Amino acid sequence: MRFLVYVLVALITGILTGHFYAPEFGNLYEVMLYLLILIIGIDLGQSFRLAEIRKLGRLAIKLPLGTLLGSLLGGLAASLLLGIELRWGLAVAAGCGWYSLTGPLIAQYSAVYGTLGFLANLTREIFTVLLYPVAIGKMRKELAVSMGGATTMDTTLPIMTKFGGSEVALIAFVHGFVLTALVPFVVPFILQLLAGG
Amino acid sequence: MNIFIPLIAGVLVGYVLRRKERRVNVDAPMSIALLLLIFFMGVEAGKVKIDALWLLSSSIVFAALTIAGSVGIALLVGGRG
Repeated sequence: MRFLVYVLVALITGILTGHFYAPEFGNLYEVMLYLLILIIGIDLGQSFRLAEIRKLGRLAIKLPLGTLLGSLLGGLAASLLLGIELRWGLAVAAGCGWYSLTGPLIAQYSAVYGTLGFLANLTREIFTVLLYPVAIGKMRKELAVSMGGATTMDTTLPIMTKFGGSEVALIAFVHGFVLTALVPFVVPFILQLLAGG
Repeated sequence: MNIFIPLIAGVLVGYVLRRKERRVNVDAPMSIALLLLIFFMGVEAGKVKIDALWLLSSSIVFAALTIAGSVGIALLVGGRG
């Protein structure tokens, strides 16, 4: 629980720093991400057993597809609730937390909804960081992975590994990997399909 | 995708360490790296200029409902266990 406080402090300090000083750290974010992925890889290599992959079974495919479907249903509900055109709402939701891709893809059509796509998916990532440790107290920790969407193979993988254990790292990575392969196709598809010709 | 390079490298290093029975505790470096990453994520979020309360509230609604939808379907396909 104390670590969650550190996470909140790091996040709030970062937001305040970004808001008031807007510093440029260059590619430090990517470097830090790759360092984390390396450490996670070492952890996986030390603890991973092949039998654990077999244990994943159909869940490895069912879970990410369920995550995408659930996201779209959530996007549908949000669109209806906020009175946003379905095309934009579904495209924002189909991002599954991948804000750096979803924002620019939607911004090709609308700057406002592109910003919404960025911010909504960034918020999803932040919520996942904050809520995953809480959610695993209420449900199976491998199913709670679904809240992170496509981010579970990189940015939210550390928090899931930290709180869920190294056995969750595998399902989280596979889940994020499948969604990362799908999202770049699904978001433009929705935008073009519902463009009305 | 270059995210695979550090991951596979790490898995190989971890596997070699396991074979040599020299397990390394990665808990502390993972925590430090994670906190730094979250700080940088916060910096990027803080740079986004929000002109309207609508944008912020809509983002929160979308984030909450997409998470709820995903978790709901996950519970359906995976069972409550």
